[in-house]
Amino acid sequence: MLDLKLEDIDGILVRYNVALEKEMTPDEAAEELYPKDELIYPIAKAIYEGEEDDVIDALKAAIDAGKKPIDLINDALMVGMGVVSQLYDEGIIFLPNVMMSADAMLNGIEFCKTQTTEIPENKGKIVCHVAEGDVHDIGKNIVVALLRAAGYEVIDLGRDVPVDEVIAAVIANKPIMLTGTALMTTTMYAFKEVNDKLLEKGMKIPFACGGGAVNQDFVSQYDLGVYGEEASDAAKIADAIIASGDDIEKLREEFHKH
Amino acid sequence: MVKKYTSMAYANADDMLFGNSKFPVKAGLGLEIGAGYTTPELNYAPRPQAGKSKDKLIKEYERITTDAMSRMVQIGSPSIVLETEHVEQMSNNPSWGAEVAHAQKTIMEEYHDEYGIKCALRHTIGDIREDRDFLQLRGDKYSVFLEAFEECAKAGADMLSVESMGGKEIFDYSILRNDTAGILFGIGVLGSMDMEMIWKDITAIAKKTGTVSAGDTDCAQANTAMFIAGGLLDKNLAHTTAIVARAISAARSLCAYEAGAIGPGKDCGYENTIVKAIAGVPISQEGKTSTCAHSDLMGNLVMQCCDLWSNESVEYHGEFGGTTVQCWSETLAYDCSMMNVALKIGKAKDLRDILVLSDKYRDPQGYVLAYDNAYKVGEAIAKDGNNNYLRAKNAAIECCNIVEEGINSGKLRLTRFEITALAKVKADLEALTDDADKFTSDNLTKFKQEVAVFRPENYGL
Repeated sequence: MLDLKLEDIDGILVRYNVALEKEMTPDEAAEELYPKDELIYPIAKAIYEGEEDDVIDALKAAIDAGKKPIDLINDALMVGMGVVSQLYDEGIIFLPNVMMSADAMLNGIEFCKTQTTEIPENKGKIVCHVAEGDVHDIGKNIVVALLRAAGYEVIDLGRDVPVDEVIAAVIANKPIMLTGTALMTTTMYAFKEVNDKLLEKGMKIPFACGGGAVNQDFVSQYDLGVYGEEASDAAKIADAIIASGDDIEKLREEFHKH
Repeated sequence: MVKKYTSMAYANADDMLFGNSKFPVKAGLGLEIGAGYTTPELNYAPRPQAGKSKDKLIKEYERITTDAMSRMVQIGSPSIVLETEHVEQMSNNPSWGAEVAHAQKTIMEEYHDEYGIKCALRHTIGDIREDRDFLQLRGDKYSVFLEAFEECAKAGADMLSVESMGGKEIFDYSILRNDTAGILFGIGVLGSMDMEMIWKDITAIAKKTGTVSAGDTDCAQANTAMFIAGGLLDKNLAHTTAIVARAISAARSLCAYEAGAIGPGKDCGYENTIVKAIAGVPISQEGKTSTCAHSDLMGNLVMQCCDLWSNESVEYHGEFGGTTVQCWSETLAYDCSMMNVALKIGKAKDLRDILVLSDKYRDPQGYVLAYDNAYKVGEAIAKDGNNNYLRAKNAAIECCNIVEEGINSGKLRLTRFEITALAKVKADLEALTDDADKFTSDNLTKFKQEVAVFRPENYGL
């Protein structure tokens, strides 16, 4: 077959990711971010490495040394997850690392709960679902993991969720935000029905939507819609709500990029 | 037992070309696919509100079909395939799908009768074998699924396809956790088992109805990996991991042809060049013309050996140049015209290589799928063709070797992250047993514990 000479390839295409790759390795970057406390450090490191057993061992060691389990959730587990989230946002580590770290963090939180009668606080409740008629849920699962990793309590309704079930869950849980994902053009129409029924009930909360066929134009057609282009936008939208309120127009100004 | 491929359909990679397959397929109204020319394959999606009722849906597809056929005639395209990928309402209610097929075919017959345009209708049934919580690959849902194929075939569909979901519950979990064994188990073992079951039954329906058992794609898994991997700057999945999933998917998609399908393979099966090398079936592909649906890193390359050239999917609505189906069918038709000219004037291999070289070094995915390397993956599969697990593992290891060769040549430049990810995948693969039964048993035990939605009975396990 025909082939290109090595020196000709750069004129055909540019591997911008190779050209821009950071010198520091992910492990080195993480090391700079870990807390220095000798009891907290191994917990944060085990979270970064996604090693569930190591997380539990380190938690046990910290509790044995006098740390309160309830404090370890925010001061160690969430801090470790914060390292992971920061490295992901900076493009130093990739999504599977975040997912494995999130698994380890949630496992650690469950362990801490078994060691105390105190109830841990979270940043807020969020209801997540996949549109009625749609069973494609990998995007929603990523959104759920990233929201939990960011410290939110997630009510995960699963996939193919009837519109009325979404409304009932919002009424029951009073979340700061609802998320909806869909892959198909015909199923994403359910988002508009969710929007209309929420407004009928007088519930004006941001409804962050994204996924395969979903686009900004479609989401802009209903009053509560805020378009999330990437799964990671869900946590950013939630953070924006916590920081500046749930004004949907303001959220659109920030997150509608097109 | 199904017949398994243990040798290559083509004696060497250079014999593979667009518009030509070892075993052309006649379909629909005067069309022969892979018989020396390429044909556009248009795919489309109804507007969101069209799914509100059966009547609205049928009307939408009538508009789509008329628009597309009229544009093909207006620009003088000699042939066209229309692919209707079912929205869930059409497969869950087989009569809906059948009425859409009938309405579309009636319009296509009118155009064929009046203008002589060669055309065929592919219906891709939705894989509806799920309930809210679990895959439900066997049982009641499977009966409705097969009924949808049969009703559509009787009502006018010429070619039957599906994007089947077997193994996806394990794959989805594993791909997000860099679990190489899980990726292999989901696609190469569970996916293959499900493919063998469904394609025997779909082929029986095709034989009964005089239609074409066309083939599948690992869209649900390998394309999920490709989409998560994204562009050069995305940080969601190593592209070296994504191409390993793709290589494994070829071993899985091959199962359709072993169970009686004859092609053309589905457009979004980027693994199809590997499949064509082994099975000699015609294939549909999508690349630069599917930017309306998604981005990839091999928009020209993937045209290399196509027999149908597709746009993947576009929502039906208006554009400056007409409706979307008119705009995209026209683009596809001009691409096919270019390929068909190259075939006529003896320049097809040059054009093929130009298409390949424009993307081959852009990304490890295109590098492995370039026809010369795709052929090598095919050989690795055929070497142990009788063993679904071993051939999938072979494909994955060969894929890693090919990428390493590319890196060593200096032409395929990867980030350290991608190289590290590749090394991990390869080490994981080399640590795996060669014993298919042990691999299956070990992974059954593991994933029954780790993946709450995994139901082994879906696979007869």
